[in-house]
Amino acid sequence: MKRSQDLSIAHHAIVQDFKSVCRKLWKCEAWERTEKIVGEGVRRLIRLDGVTKRYANGHHGLVNVSLTVNRGDFVFLVGPSGAGKSTLIRLLYGEDKATAGEVMIDQFRLRSMTLRQLPRLRRQLGIVFQDVKLLPTRTVFQNVAFAMEVVGASRRDIMRRVPQVIELVGLKNRRDNYPDQLSGGEQQRVGIARALVNQPIYVLADEPTGNLDPETAADIMRLFVEINRRGATVVMATHARDLVNQLQRRVIAIEGGRMVRDDVRGAYGYDA
Amino acid sequence: MTLNSAGHLFRETGRSLTKNFWMALASVSTVAISLFVLAVFVVVSTNVNHVTTLLQNEVELRVFVKPKATRPEELKLLGQIRHWPDVRHVHFFTKEEAAKQLKGEFPNQHALFDVIAKANPLFDGFDIYTKNPAQIPSVAHRAQAVPIVHNVVYQGTVVKRLTRLGHIVRWVGWIVEALLAVATLMIIVNTIRLAVFSRRREIQVMRLVGATNWFIRWPFILEGLSIGIFGALLAEVVVSAGYRWVVGAAARALPFWPIASLHTVVDRTALFTGIGGLAVGGVASIIALRRFLRV
Repeated sequence: MKRSQDLSIAHHAIVQDFKSVCRKLWKCEAWERTEKIVGEGVRRLIRLDGVTKRYANGHHGLVNVSLTVNRGDFVFLVGPSGAGKSTLIRLLYGEDKATAGEVMIDQFRLRSMTLRQLPRLRRQLGIVFQDVKLLPTRTVFQNVAFAMEVVGASRRDIMRRVPQVIELVGLKNRRDNYPDQLSGGEQQRVGIARALVNQPIYVLADEPTGNLDPETAADIMRLFVEINRRGATVVMATHARDLVNQLQRRVIAIEGGRMVRDDVRGAYGYDA
Repeated sequence: MTLNSAGHLFRETGRSLTKNFWMALASVSTVAISLFVLAVFVVVSTNVNHVTTLLQNEVELRVFVKPKATRPEELKLLGQIRHWPDVRHVHFFTKEEAAKQLKGEFPNQHALFDVIAKANPLFDGFDIYTKNPAQIPSVAHRAQAVPIVHNVVYQGTVVKRLTRLGHIVRWVGWIVEALLAVATLMIIVNTIRLAVFSRRREIQVMRLVGATNWFIRWPFILEGLSIGIFGALLAEVVVSAGYRWVVGAAARALPFWPIASLHTVVDRTALFTGIGGLAVGGVASIIALRRFLRV
């Protein structure tokens, strides 16, 4: 009787120890990742949970927004100017932090992330802006290569990867040109190449076709579709009504900082 | 840090320094000028210390014996002095020993050594230590009265005054340097600020693609440090060339003035300007980055 009691106590102790060791070993990201794989979260890339962003001047950028973006999705963010699209984009690349709620991207919890961890998130994503933010003193090739240099890529990887991406965006013949020798559409392609060169798991775009004529805009949009087809998740804030209507992708509409619509195969839904 | 990032670091620093060449030159000159002033204070202070130490090491009383006095006469006098009431210790030296000591005190005076080697013009004599400093004058008078004594030399108040002068030079030096350091600091801060400003697009892109904060900061810190080091080098070159000239001129014009040797001075000024340059450059770049490169 006593002996079996001892055994059971010993057994209990061993199990507890094992659990605590596991917890120590698996804590942090690995544990979360395992949970995610086990759960339904395996396809989920971005999750916003009751996210509110209030600026220091009291203005509300976003109010209680909850949404999920799965891996491989193509999502349009639409809404009037000042509705909060750019605020949302800024939260999604860690430039701003939510005032309330949680933003999760892959294994990163953005609200509790420190500035030191930010570069790790940034290396997972590619960002494309309306003003492309190219470096005027560097050629197309150098602009794209710069993104690899500053994250410490080797010369060999740069020489291998950069030409591939430049070819993908259709600028093979322009690689030694400077930005001011390129058209607006070509500049945006360089911006996209730069966003893609570090092989991000998702691409954020803030009105990438805003400055372009309709035909060029359509070309750029086709490029994003191609990128998405190759596996990258794309989240794009845009005013390009015709293109949104034509592509029939998921559309999330934001007005006054609130999410008012989330259609799986949506339309732009605003008149001009 | 990988080899790739090290390459990037030096490329970027070089690029930044050449891009804002005139501003960089202005900062290097400012650093050089203030470090030059620092070095001048170091030179003066080193020399004051040199003289003070020489005098301190010298005996309280030195009695020189007339050349015609014979060795037995001298030894007899030595025995007498030992029994004077105020004398604590007495030491007899020959003129050959005096020459050796002189060589130690004036290492730069090669012409002097030649003269001494040919016909030693120095005197035999005694170093006398008294029981307390107040007795020095009376002992000096008594020694002077001895027939074979040529003359008596003693110093006391001089040492005190020199020590005080040394203190003053050092204090004035520190105050002037503190003011200059502030001015220099502001110039370098401004240079780094310009460098940050002229590269703000690159910095923005670097942040967006995930360059680490230190990867972005290091080129600017290295830029500040190089400005400091170049300034220090410039100051040191000028000071050592200048002091070399002073040593030469002094040997000709004031052969018996004990001047600190060239290498002592160069070593000390190099130490001070080097540390000063690195410190001002490093601190300035950190201030500039804290104010203008918020991350």
